[in-house]
Amino acid sequence: MIKKVFEKPLNFLETIFFLDFIKGMSVTIKQAFTKTITTHYPYEKLTAPKRFRGFFGHKTVNGLEPQPAFDEWAERMKVEPQPSKSRCVVCYLCKKACPVPDLFEIDGKKLENGKKVVSVFNMNLMLCTFCGLCVDACPVDCLFQSDIQETASFSRKDAILNLEKLELIGKVWQDRREQEPDRIWIDDEAREKLWRENKLNLRKVDNA
Amino acid sequence: MSIIALGIIIAVKVVVILVIILGIGAYLTLVERKVAAHIQRRPGPMVVGWHGLLQPLADGIKLLTKEDILPSSANPILYNLAIVMALVPATLVFAVVPFGPEVHVFGYDIKPILTDVNIGIILAFAFGSLAVYGVALSGWASNSKYALIGALRKAGIIISYEVVITFAALGPIMLAKSLSTYDIVMAQIHQKVWYIFLQPISFVVFVFALLAETGRVPFDIQEAEAELVTGFTVEYGGMKFGLFPLVEWYVEVLSLSSILAVLYLGGWSPLNIPFIGFVDPFFFLGAWSGFIWFIIKVSILFLLVLWLHWTLPRYRIDQITTVAWKVMLPLALFNILISAFIAPLLRG
Amino acid sequence: MQATEKTLNEIKAKIPYVDVKKEKLTSVVYVQKELLFNVLKAIKEDFGFKLFIDHSVVDTLEADNRFEAFYILYNVDTKERILVKTKTEHALPSVEKLWFAAKWAERECYDMFGINYEGHEHLVRAFMWDTYSHYPLRKDFPLGGYETVELPSLNESTFGDNLSGTMNYKRTHTYVPTLKDLEYTERNRIKKKAQVVLNWGPLHPGTHGTMWFLFDLEGERIVQTDVILGQLHRGVEKLAEHEPYQQFLVYTDRMDYISGLCSNQAWTVTVERLLGIEDMVPLKAKYIRTMMSELQRINSHLLWLGTYALDLGALTIFLYAFKEREKIMDIIEGITGARLTISYTRIGGVRMDLPQGALDVIESFVKFFPKELKDWEKILSRNRIWVKRNKEVGVLTKEDIYFYGLTGAVARGSGVFYDIRKLEPYDAYSMVDFDVPLGENGDCYDRYLVRVEEMRQSIRIIEQCLQKLKTMSPNEPFMAESGDPKKLKLTLDGIGLKVPAGEVYSSGENPRGELGFYINSKGGLKPYRVKIRPGSFYNLCVYPHLMENRYIADAVTVLASLDPVVGEVDR
Repeated sequence: MIKKVFEKPLNFLETIFFLDFIKGMSVTIKQAFTKTITTHYPYEKLTAPKRFRGFFGHKTVNGLEPQPAFDEWAERMKVEPQPSKSRCVVCYLCKKACPVPDLFEIDGKKLENGKKVVSVFNMNLMLCTFCGLCVDACPVDCLFQSDIQETASFSRKDAILNLEKLELIGKVWQDRREQEPDRIWIDDEAREKLWRENKLNLRKVDNA
Repeated sequence: MSIIALGIIIAVKVVVILVIILGIGAYLTLVERKVAAHIQRRPGPMVVGWHGLLQPLADGIKLLTKEDILPSSANPILYNLAIVMALVPATLVFAVVPFGPEVHVFGYDIKPILTDVNIGIILAFAFGSLAVYGVALSGWASNSKYALIGALRKAGIIISYEVVITFAALGPIMLAKSLSTYDIVMAQIHQKVWYIFLQPISFVVFVFALLAETGRVPFDIQEAEAELVTGFTVEYGGMKFGLFPLVEWYVEVLSLSSILAVLYLGGWSPLNIPFIGFVDPFFFLGAWSGFIWFIIKVSILFLLVLWLHWTLPRYRIDQITTVAWKVMLPLALFNILISAFIAPLLRG
Repeated sequence: MQATEKTLNEIKAKIPYVDVKKEKLTSVVYVQKELLFNVLKAIKEDFGFKLFIDHSVVDTLEADNRFEAFYILYNVDTKERILVKTKTEHALPSVEKLWFAAKWAERECYDMFGINYEGHEHLVRAFMWDTYSHYPLRKDFPLGGYETVELPSLNESTFGDNLSGTMNYKRTHTYVPTLKDLEYTERNRIKKKAQVVLNWGPLHPGTHGTMWFLFDLEGERIVQTDVILGQLHRGVEKLAEHEPYQQFLVYTDRMDYISGLCSNQAWTVTVERLLGIEDMVPLKAKYIRTMMSELQRINSHLLWLGTYALDLGALTIFLYAFKEREKIMDIIEGITGARLTISYTRIGGVRMDLPQGALDVIESFVKFFPKELKDWEKILSRNRIWVKRNKEVGVLTKEDIYFYGLTGAVARGSGVFYDIRKLEPYDAYSMVDFDVPLGENGDCYDRYLVRVEEMRQSIRIIEQCLQKLKTMSPNEPFMAESGDPKKLKLTLDGIGLKVPAGEVYSSGENPRGELGFYINSKGGLKPYRVKIRPGSFYNLCVYPHLMENRYIADAVTVLASLDPVVGEVDR
């Protein structure tokens, strides 16, 4: 259970022949002749994994919603689902789950047939901690996090996501990456430089 | 020779030395960055030019176009004088370094050494000692506590290691029976032995003193970034800041490595088998092969210094001075004692 | 665990004028304010509760004796923990003679609550600047502070930004300290006795964060030191009173930002103990949490090794350590989605199961890492320069550990067997096999060896967790199911989780020391008071003692071997 740690001190021969320096230098020189491990950003980039917690998006109504949850919630909140528009049912659960009270600004508007539809959905990402509690709270798999991470800009307005931006991010994501399997990462070749010395051999991607 | 021919020869030598030293000094920054990067498993500068070859140019332009600042409570004369006092002595050492054997060019016999005085080694060490002024003046003139502490540390180190380096160099001088750099190399050639084989203790002491004088790890306590954030150069900016490492880390290492090659590795002589003779794979170049060998030796020493820099941790200031006075000086004196017995046994 | 009935009865027998009570999760000794010092002295010396864990105050807003102060002490031999409580209106006797760590804890309570400590040697504010006039953690101080200063630059509209309502900043702001305030704080902190007072920090590449050290120098020798903290103070304890339990998780990773998962795990385990659902957490979740926490421990120790070697001059070890760290971060990113502020655990389990291929990647990492570690030890461990810089520097004896409240690798380097993973196991630590390395002399060299050995033991734990996780099917639950959703609502998002009234103190073994959470709950969705016991804060309080009569060059070595992280020190 207990392990005592100690190191032997240098003996006389090692001191005069500098063997401790020579051993250290042999490690360094061996590393100097091995290949480099860095990815030359921005000429080479890595693809973020599927679970990456980047900017948010709203998935759109396209027939792949989680049933029966979507129908139940649309019924309960009296929301009319509109194809190719956001799946949001204005339940305010994401706003309740968020640690920051003022981040979400959500509102719905009434349609002529008595049902509601979401009209305002602003997220102030300058206050966001990107924790994902809101994604966990959404009952209809509408709010999700995409892999958008290169978000530097010159004005504060680009950090406020409104409904159109969210729907756009969602639509693009659904076409691009929704069908990917839940694998730890998808770009084995790009990560080869760093992981080559570990002799990693993952099973090839099986397209589910 | 006529006065005009003499004048032209001297001018050519001066120009060659200045261009080579300052030009190579700048490119050595790239060599260091590439070697350090590959030791650390990354590629180093790659963007400017092919694999970073124009990087020193980019760095030079950047440093030259920066604002020239002067802290308000600093002493302007000493502040600017310190840079001059750092650069000039380091370059002057190359005046007494022999780059190769005597060659015949256009019918004249030229020794490729700027001034072959008969006290060459003493001049070299004297110029090295003048380097203290650059450090001490910049530390005082910056009017900052960090600069002062850094300057005092470096001044202490240089003064201790000057003594060590001089005593260590006395060994080969005794074996060669001369103080002129050219004659020491000729003595090694005549005696057919590089002095490294006869003076291993003195060689090791000289290498450590070289690392200390030039401020390289394991003795770079005055620039220890974690404590003093570049030490005595902390109030300098732009090219004035760029000049201090250029002089200290590159030009002084080159000059002291050249002195090391002259004293211990036989200057321009080719590969040596002790007491038997010399083997020269470049014999087809005639007398010019000496220059190639000199360059090879200085490069290997420079790479050794880099290799040590990027592997070892650094000492504390009191440990550095303790090691100098209590360990290296007695070793150097012991070495002088032994050389006194060996010297009469060698011919010439 | 908490002190047994037997110990409490012995205390009551020896000191009759105290009240003892054994609650479900804590053992408490109630004492009057005037007799506090003698009672604590008796408990420390006669009953062996030598290790100081924490001290703070709860603002109960009662009519008389508004503040309830508590002291948490630990007995390393019998593994018992005890809480000593007292009530006061505005003053308490200082116990800094018994434990130096109490001096810093008392400064913090003075800063946050305004309690005057009689007999304290130099009572200054711990985090705020000295001319600040409010006491922030009192219940009558609003969450947003008093916004009195107008800062129009926050609302400049360039590029046609016209952000409305909650999407913009407010125009007024709380008071921001000026240079005058900081200079007053600096001059008040240390009384100059020698030649020069050197400011090391607050912005310096060598101080591991924004800590402000003042050195009183005589040439190169340091005569006295003091530390000014609070540059990164974000008021996490005040925020905790306004956040539901699951939502507070986000703040815990931002304290010790280098090993976020371990802090998440410590908070989750504390709330689970308060709810009483520790046994309901599924086995798979426990193993996943343990494995990820050990990966974070290796990550944190690699950063420590890299910056330690960098400060001492061995510049390549920094990049080798970061190469391995890059691999760990890739693993964590693939599993949880984030690299630094992770928030992966949930009360009752974890957020998501492991993806395909995660176990293979972790296995290949674990096979290769010990070889790398051995190579780096060739460069450092027996190198004469490294040994000379680290041996006999910053020596701490066993008595120092108890007196200064030190935990973690610092305590183990001096030979005290204090590892929360063995003494109070949580998650899967009781089901895996590992050794605890102990040093002998307590100098920086021993702490270095202890941390390197801890990395190896972490690899051992990860291998055992991998073996176990490979045998579990992918359909096993990773989150606890609550039997009665009306009484106890356990969901991934944590909305509506009500916690019964009570108090608990529970801690986890962070790479930097012991991170403890004291929660005082009065029922409901949000806690009443959360006190965070940071390992780095108490590890740092030994720094002035260690730096007397040493060189400036040792300042770096000692600080790096104590391994503080400013996010945790300042909260």
